[in-house]
Amino acid sequence: MPFDKILVAIDGSECSNRAFAKALDLATLANARITALAVEGPLPAYAATVGEVDEVKREKDLFFSALASRVRQEAKQRGLEVDVDVRPGHAAELISQVATEGRYDLVVLGHRGHFLRDHLLGSTADRVAEHAPCPVMIVR
Amino acid sequence: MSDIAIAALLVATILIASTISIEIGLSVALIELLAGVIVGNTFDLRVPSWLTFIGSFAGVLLTFQAGAEVDVPQFRREWKASVSIGFVSFFAPFAVVGLLARYGLGWNRRESEIGGLALSTTSLAVVYAVLVETGLNRALVGKRLMSATFVTDIATVAGLTVLFVKPTLWIVPFVVVSLALIVGLPKTSPWFFGRYGNRVIEPEIKLVFAVLFLLMWLGGRANSQAVLPAFILGLVMSDHYARHRIEQERLRVVAFAFLTPFFFLKGGMSVSAGALWANLGILAILFAGKMVPKFAGVYPLARRYTAPHATFTTLLMSTGLTFGTITSLYGLNAGIIDRTKFSLLIAVVVLSAIVPTAIAQRFFRPHVELEDAASLAAPATAQAGASR
Repeated sequence: MPFDKILVAIDGSECSNRAFAKALDLATLANARITALAVEGPLPAYAATVGEVDEVKREKDLFFSALASRVRQEAKQRGLEVDVDVRPGHAAELISQVATEGRYDLVVLGHRGHFLRDHLLGSTADRVAEHAPCPVMIVR
Repeated sequence: MSDIAIAALLVATILIASTISIEIGLSVALIELLAGVIVGNTFDLRVPSWLTFIGSFAGVLLTFQAGAEVDVPQFRREWKASVSIGFVSFFAPFAVVGLLARYGLGWNRRESEIGGLALSTTSLAVVYAVLVETGLNRALVGKRLMSATFVTDIATVAGLTVLFVKPTLWIVPFVVVSLALIVGLPKTSPWFFGRYGNRVIEPEIKLVFAVLFLLMWLGGRANSQAVLPAFILGLVMSDHYARHRIEQERLRVVAFAFLTPFFFLKGGMSVSAGALWANLGILAILFAGKMVPKFAGVYPLARRYTAPHATFTTLLMSTGLTFGTITSLYGLNAGIIDRTKFSLLIAVVVLSAIVPTAIAQRFFRPHVELEDAASLAAPATAQAGASR
């Protein structure tokens, strides 16, 4: 199977957990290297005090730190190692960008399925499928 | 409407503003300002005296907090590169807006000075949020930018205190007490906080409140302003708060839960939507009066000190929110500017928080995270709890 490098997007949601489990299955089958990318959402825009920004940043750091530990643990139980990359930015843009720059062979991500938003704005999965330089697996 | 009915309406508005802020990821202060505009103009509410009182105190508390949030050791390291950017960032729009208002719009001298000061500011919090998001807060350019923002802010605060002082004999005790507190509080607070701190009755917060009220009273008697000593007091206490984050958190909780919402709500309620609509041309002129000199003054220096992110730096130095609101509200409360001029200044302040930030993030966002992914990704998870 021609998948040497797999990039999986994680955010702690149920659909991203399912995507991560699938990515682990694929990595086991293909003996591939796997990287989990967590995209930190934006901080409060146009804040009036540094404290407001600090608090949200601290919460995010704690959340993503716990998420990183959890996915590493899950991978270890399957006998795999996973690199966890936490970055701030726009999810669809960043996933496609990292996939391009890291020359990944496959991107795996979950699809939450938000009826109204998906139809009005398009989902993250749609946008990654459109812009990623490699095959994209969308896990429902 | 009775005072208690107004309070019930405003607290409900504050609650709704908080939930909207969390849901859409916008700063609560901005939502409170906008909510104030809607409530004030929809219900045609008079601003009660208790709201003005709480708002005035909250403004001084915000100033103290802004001082306490400055990273003084970082400023000491970067001050040489930052002073020129910070000072030009203050002086260029102050002079241009002041002259424009005085000779172009026909405002009187004191109105023009309030206009110049309100639009000379740079928002430390807006700059900080963008730097943290881009990872630039750990790079030299980010540190210089934060230090320059501090210089701009202290120039604005100093201008607000110096330009409008009409000293009485009370200026002597005001200056003496301010100096005594600035020198004495950092020395006595470790003992006081150690002996009386960490209790649910919060003597340490009461100490800060007592000191700020004292400064406000003496400042008022001296026909001066408490903002400069409050800011410097925050500054000299910043080292203490850096070592005792929980104390700072508690102060923030009290401020954000009860005081600052009334400050921003009051600011919004004092805005006249009709006056804004009738003066869109002047609004555009004032907005340009802030942006153009910021660009003309800061960009050449940014090319020297923060290359290759000069445009990004210049855009961030053009932001403003808290000190612009504080200055405008001071002008309104002191009867220096009328509601129309206040509305125009607040609208420009809000626009200056949004427009340059949005442009900087959309078109000039540095790709630090991609240039240095490994070094940034690790701290993002490993340094959980580190705030600055």
